[in-house]
Order: sequence, then structure tokens, then C-alpha cells
Amino acid sequence: MTEPQTNTLRGEGISLSFGGIKVLKDLDVEFRAGEITGLIGPNGAGKTSLFNCLTGAYTPQKGNIGYAGNSLNGLPPSMRAAKGIVRSFQHVALCPDLTVRENVMIGVARNHHSGWLNAFLPLPRGQREWAAMAQDANRALADLGLAEMGDLMPDALPPGMQRLVEIARAIVGNPSVLLLDEPAAGLNNSETSDLMAVLRELASNDLVLVVVEHDMDLVMSICDRIYVLNFGELVADGTPKEVRENPNVVRIYLGSDDD
Amino acid sequence: MSDTFGQRPANASETSMLKQLTSGSLPTLALIIALAFLPAMLGGSWTFTMGLCFANSIGVLAVSLLVRYGGEVSIGHTFFTALGAYSVGVLDAKYGLSLFASLPLALLLGVAFGVIFAWPSRNLSGIYLAVTTLALALAVPEIINNLGGITGGYEGLYVSTPIVSFLEMSMQRYYFALLMLVVATYLVARLRKSRQGMLLLLAKTHSAAADAFGTRRVWARISIMGISGGIGALCGATLAFSGSTVSPGGFTFSQAIFLLVGSVVGFYGLSLPRVLLGGAFVTLVPHLLSASGAWIPVFYGIALLSMILIGHHLPRIRKAMKLRKEAG
Ligand SMILES: Nc1ncnc2c1ncn2[C@@H]1O[C@H](COP(=O)(O)OP(=O)(O)OP(=O)(O)O)[C@@H](O)[C@H]1O
Ligand SMILES: [Mg+2]
Repeated sequence: MTEPQTNTLRGEGISLSFGGIKVLKDLDVEFRAGEITGLIGPNGAGKTSLFNCLTGAYTPQKGNIGYAGNSLNGLPPSMRAAKGIVRSFQHVALCPDLTVRENVMIGVARNHHSGWLNAFLPLPRGQREWAAMAQDANRALADLGLAEMGDLMPDALPPGMQRLVEIARAIVGNPSVLLLDEPAAGLNNSETSDLMAVLRELASNDLVLVVVEHDMDLVMSICDRIYVLNFGELVADGTPKEVRENPNVVRIYLGSDDD
Repeated sequence: MSDTFGQRPANASETSMLKQLTSGSLPTLALIIALAFLPAMLGGSWTFTMGLCFANSIGVLAVSLLVRYGGEVSIGHTFFTALGAYSVGVLDAKYGLSLFASLPLALLLGVAFGVIFAWPSRNLSGIYLAVTTLALALAVPEIINNLGGITGGYEGLYVSTPIVSFLEMSMQRYYFALLMLVVATYLVARLRKSRQGMLLLLAKTHSAAADAFGTRRVWARISIMGISGGIGALCGATLAFSGSTVSPGGFTFSQAIFLLVGSVVGFYGLSLPRVLLGGAFVTLVPHLLSASGAWIPVFYGIALLSMILIGHHLPRIRKAMKLRKEAG
């Protein structure tokens, strides 16, 4: 039997600063496969920055990042993506020139490798590849209740649905690590509960699933474990119950109420 | 929850394909057939001019492709057209080789130099990249004249080796250009429905997202420059064969600007009708202008260039102004 701990995504002593402003301060985090981990904290706490470090978009000045026992330090984002480390963006980053389905197909593109001739000529391999990507995309769209939207352009969708497309793009390629940055922002209640169902289903034994979210009901109900960040520092971590009762967390959330 | 969004046909992808066929391909097909019969109705000199127009349309396609798939503006594509044209000219005039040999060479050189150019300029974009391509364009006539031994210098080269034996040379010049234009627009249309095409488009609009899904922006830049360079060289090769002569005058800086202007005139379109519109502009307007004084094309080019750059950056300028208004 394999230990569930082996597919852990780890950050040790991560420090990140921008021109003297410390955004992450000596942060230790451990995201385990098979669990849904919540990452919460007030605006500007450094949640998105931590995602950027994990995916390689930012290079922390100090610290180590590893997945499944291998160091990811120095690996560019594209190579982390090749390892199945995938994210969604807080600010929806869909391509307006592509249909909704094609945007989702991007999420499986890394699993296909047909050459340039297939890009210019209707050769069987490229055709098969395209059909397979479209099929995967359709399935992911259907999971998120967007089955009918595939042929629309993203701009034709309301913001909540655009975000779901963004999430579909992230989950479609069977990632091993899935980092979702505010997946429920802009969703209505029924969309949110659909999303929660999808996330629960996704949380299988070999997926590291981390969710940054301001929607506390969502976080408290789906997460197995929660990290609380404030000003780039870890203030608390534990089960939802532990975190909810942690006096530091209560103070932070009451203190930030006035904005 | 999706049923709140109206009833859509279950096979939405099929109906949209049908729509695409009827809205895009049929008029294009009709246009190709009409163009195929055109020489029967036109005089010799117009047939010749139309051949040039097709060739220039391919150049417009190369520039528009770079804009649409790379988000970049080139004012140096005469570098690539010259590469293609001189591949054909030199192999023909010096070695008596036909397009069967020179066309592959032209494509190879175009792609190779596109890639070679893309590497050192991979971190440049916008106006900075445009200025770098400008350097290419300015270098071209100098290079050609300095290599006078093989390029024929100012005199140029005459291209006369036929491709087939059963057709009159003037018809070959026309139909070859038409064929190349049709093939080029077809290949580019295919790109849109390919994995690589999608990734290029994403890299253009959201390079961070492309990165996060395994597409390096360097790959995107090199790929699109290679493709655009190759199509540029195809334009040059076609110009050489259909125009029958290759000389430095065809690859001046103002010609490079005209290609960009042609691309704007075709609304950066990649379809056959759109690039033809741009190609017609590139072919006809310089003729009309040159009758009215040597400097006018230059002023004209500069005026248009500034318009293009403003147009190109307008969305960003607007956004910035809006932000400032909201902040203030
Ligand atoms: N590229 C950057 N350059 C400079 N500062 C940055 C950069 N990225 C993030 N920051 C700063 O880092 C801090 C943390 O930002 P981050 O986006 O990680 O916060 P967050 O926890 O995701 O907040 P939110 O809930 O608002 O999304 C902020 O003060 C932000 O201004
Ligand atoms: Mg954030």
C-alpha cells in the first residue's frame, strides 16, 4: 500500500518579497493528497502569491518547494504543469479568441503531442487529438453544468459562468495538484453548491486540492484542513473546527471587518 | 442549472460547423472559381497585375498572422519576402532550377530566419519588437546590393523557368500565384482548429495562463515568427515567379510598410477575401502614388504607420485612461 503522504506538495521556509515589501514570511505549508485544503486570509495576505510560488510564476527569495518528494525549485511553470500541477486564476484568464470548449481543451493540451504538420493539414492524428480534447472538454463542462455553452465565446457568458469555465479548464486534464484561486467568486448559490459537489468528487486519494476562498461556508463545509494567512504569515492551521475556534483567526476576521 | 439558459440544439457543434461552412467556405469557393476564370476576361497586363496582387496578399497574410496569433506588429516583413524571392531568383537565373527546387528552399529559409530572429528578440514586444523588425527591413536593400555577385545587384534577376510545359508562361505566373494564395489561406485556416493554434492564441492573450498550462511564451514567439517568416518567404517566392523579376526595389522599407498597411486594410483578417483586399491595396496604391512624386509614399507610409500603432495600442490606452478616471 502506498502512503498517502508521498504525494504531498510541500513548501518549506518560503519567503517572497517585492522591492522590500515582504509578501510571504518564512512560510511552511504541507498540502496532502486526498484532502481538500483551504487557504484563507484577508485581502493581501499573500494567498495568490503563494500559489504563484507553487506554480513557478514567482520565484521565492528563500525556501524550498517539493512535490511527491521531488524538488520543484527552479522549474519553470510549464514544466510544473507537465507534472500535473495546475491552477485556476483569481482574475479569469480565458482566451477571448477561443470558444468556451476550446478554452477548456487547453487544459488537456499538455497530454497531446502531434507535430506541426497536423496543425496545418487534416491528418488523422491531429483530427483524433482534436476530437479527444473536445470530448474531454465536453465532459468537464457537463460536470460543471455548462454542457450547452461549449460553442459560445467566453465574453457571452456571465462572470460566474466564466469562472466555472476557468475551473473546467483546470480540472479537465486530471491534474495531480489543483490550486483553485477563489473558485466561487461571482457564483450564485446554485452554482456554488454544484461547484462544491464537483470538488468533493474530485478529492480522490491522489489529488492535492487547495482552495483559496473568501466564502467561509464553502471553506468550512468542504475542507479537511485549513491554513490561515495574514500579512504573509501563517496564523493558524487545523481542521475547520479548530480554525473557527482559534482566537487569532477570530481577531483577524473581526479586525478586517471595517473594509 | 443549465436549463435556465434557453433551449439549445443538442448537437450544437454540428450546426455551428454547418454555419461555418455556409458562411465562410462557400463564398470563398465561389471567389476562387471566379478568380480561376478571370484571365479569360482580362487583358495580359491585368492578368499580370492580378498575379502580383495574389502574391502580395500572401505577404499581407504573413503580417496579419503575426498580429492575430502573436499579438505583434512587424514592419520588416520584406526581409522574409526578399529571402523567398531571391531563393527563386538565384536558383532560376544562376542554376536554371525551377520552383520545384527553389520553393522548398524559400520556405526553409523563411522559417529558419523567422526562428533565428525570434530567439534574440523573444523578450521584446509591442513597439520595441516593431522597431527591431524595422532594422531587418532597412538592412535588406543593403544586403542585396552587397551580395551583387549572386543577387544581380540593382539590375536584379529574371525568372523564366516554367513549372509545367503545357501552359503558357503568363498563365503559369497567374495560376501559380492563385494556387499559392489559396493554399496559404487554407493552411492558416486549419491552424485555428489545431492544438498549436489554440495555444498560440492563449499565449497571446494570457501568457501567464499559457505558462500555467504548459506553453512557454518563448515557444509561442518562436513558432509564430517561424510560421510568419515562412509565409513571408512564400510571398516573396510567388512575387519572384509571378512578377518575373527580382530586384532590390521590391523590398524597400516602404514596401514593408505597405504590407502592414495592407494587413490593416484587410482588418487583420486571415480569410481569402480579407487578405485579397489587403493585397490589392499593396499592389495598386504604390503604383498610383508613385505617379505623384517620389516622397509621397514615404509620408503616406509614416502617416499610416502612426495610425496603426495608435490603433494597435488604443485598447490599452483607453484602459489606462479609464483607470485614471476611476482613480481620480
Ligand atoms: N507582482 C507583484 N508585485 C508587487 N507586489 C505584489 C505582486 N504580487 C503581489 N504583490 C503584493 O503582495 C501582497 C499579497 O498579494 P496577494 O495577491 O498574494 O494577496 P491575496 O491574499 O491573494 O489577496 P486577495 O484576497 O485580495 O486576492 C499584496 O500586498 C500585493 O500588493
Ligand atoms: Mg488573491
